[in-house]
Amino acid sequence: MALLFDTSYLFMRALKKLVRNPILIFFSLFQPIIFLVLFTQLFHSLNLLPGFPPGVSYLEYASAGILMQNAFSSALQSGTSIVEDLNSGFLQKMLVTQVSRPAILLGRLATDAFRVTVQSVIILALAYALGFRLASGIPGVLVILFIIAFFGLAWSGISLALGLRTKSSETVFGIGAFLTFPLLFMSTALVPLGFMPPWMQNVSRVNPISYAVNAVRDLSIPGFFSLSAELGALVFIAGIAVVTIGITLYLFRKVVS
Amino acid sequence: MPDIITVKDLVEVYADGTKAVDGISFNVQEGEFFGFLGPNGAGKSTTIKILTTLLRKTSGSVSIAGYDLEANSREIRKVIGVQSQETSVDPELTGRENMILQGHLQQMKGKELEERVDYLLEVVGLKDAADKRAGRYSGGMKKRLDLASTLVHKPKILFLDEPTTGLDPQSRATVWDYLEELNKKEGITIFLTTQYLEEADRLCQRLCIVDAGKVVAEGSPLGLKKEIAADAITITVENRTGAGDKGITKAAAKSLLSKIPEVMNVVDSEEGLTLYVKNGGLFVPELVRAFDKADIQLISINISTPSLDDVFLKHTGKRIRVEELVKQAPSAMFGRRGR
Repeated sequence: MALLFDTSYLFMRALKKLVRNPILIFFSLFQPIIFLVLFTQLFHSLNLLPGFPPGVSYLEYASAGILMQNAFSSALQSGTSIVEDLNSGFLQKMLVTQVSRPAILLGRLATDAFRVTVQSVIILALAYALGFRLASGIPGVLVILFIIAFFGLAWSGISLALGLRTKSSETVFGIGAFLTFPLLFMSTALVPLGFMPPWMQNVSRVNPISYAVNAVRDLSIPGFFSLSAELGALVFIAGIAVVTIGITLYLFRKVVS
Repeated sequence: MPDIITVKDLVEVYADGTKAVDGISFNVQEGEFFGFLGPNGAGKSTTIKILTTLLRKTSGSVSIAGYDLEANSREIRKVIGVQSQETSVDPELTGRENMILQGHLQQMKGKELEERVDYLLEVVGLKDAADKRAGRYSGGMKKRLDLASTLVHKPKILFLDEPTTGLDPQSRATVWDYLEELNKKEGITIFLTTQYLEEADRLCQRLCIVDAGKVVAEGSPLGLKKEIAADAITITVENRTGAGDKGITKAAAKSLLSKIPEVMNVVDSEEGLTLYVKNGGLFVPELVRAFDKADIQLISINISTPSLDDVFLKHTGKRIRVEELVKQAPSAMFGRRGR
């Protein structure tokens, strides 16, 4: 019970901080929006190339990838918050209270999931304005948001683990920026697998972003949906989240004791 | 009064082999204002981190409010309030929100919490600024908010790690006031670390002087100073032959002093030679005559009644730290109260 309450108090704290610093949301939305508006215009003829799914516009195709880009690029900043609390002494201040230890991390993760969801809704609305129509309707949106939130959590886990390990915001930020583009480009986020050279196809097949993107894309384009692929992707993403959050909890325990 | 903190043979060895705390033992009685005085790196912060459950001790035994440190850390967190060296308030939350969050984390809620927060904000003089973001507070206001937030759950023991470091003299005096009041009126036991002699002298009923992880002296400030039972005279002598002297004049002065029967003790430190004599004022002419006769030029003579620094000097052979702590007139110390 204390765990639940403490998590909600810390969730509210982080939320207030976020609302009072809207510039943070703006910064992490900036890149995906540029992609959404400029890329989809720049490459709108990409769907004429052989190998591109027939009858699908590039906007329809790339929206899933851009949603995912937003999820992991903002989740990768998560670790900076824990570094901030570590360095300002606020974490210590929490640790000498009776607060339930895991709540400190869970509150953080809940905020990250919430933030990614809100940003995704903004991107979806913008894509809608550009003419993107989701094949699976409102239920599809809910499943997509669920997938994205979970996917975001997995990356938050990595970022928090980095933060706890390095105790440096710059490092967390740097590694986040460093990972974003290679992982994005070597996945099926922006182009179909067949467009890539063979070595990149191999990377893309094991790239977790491809799994998440495909799961979202299957829900957004008519005729792509397959239950088994959907469930497979969910299991894969959940698996990654469990591993990264597990590592974070382990590192957190080491910092705490 | 029974002991509320008992520390026995406490040792902390860091992973790199540094012995930060080297076998410290002391007791703090209930309701006492207890001080840990020492220079930077003496092991004060490490000790406070261990006592407040933040750092695992290497060896020794610690009991706080009757609880064993390791077995009952949860129970201990219920009865202690801790203010760390860094002022840790959330700059993006208002003063009130900071306090409420702290109360929530201490498992308080509802009306009881709100009333407590209102009361404390009033006590530390932040009522008017309560709904402003803490990031816009001055350094002194932040410290006061930090202090107030450690009191939300009515702790029995308050741990303060250098609570006035970095504050201007007036804010420092205000904080001193609050602390004295807390201790006297509410009967809270206070454990304080400081590197300021005046702070320890003014606030603490009893103190440990620590250096390099060890307790070098223990007692009341008055008792410790009485132990010296003499005035301190610090002199500097002229370096006769320039850079090549290598302390020869100083050595000559030292040997001269050792022949004067009134001189009880001589300590050689960076500031010069400090000698202890009874009735320092009356001794000065004799001192000057002796140096004149020996043809050693005196550059400065400084007489003072013994301070805690002299106690430290006597036990360790060095001074704590030369730190200007501007003295405040009593009226300025209580200045905030009337407003």
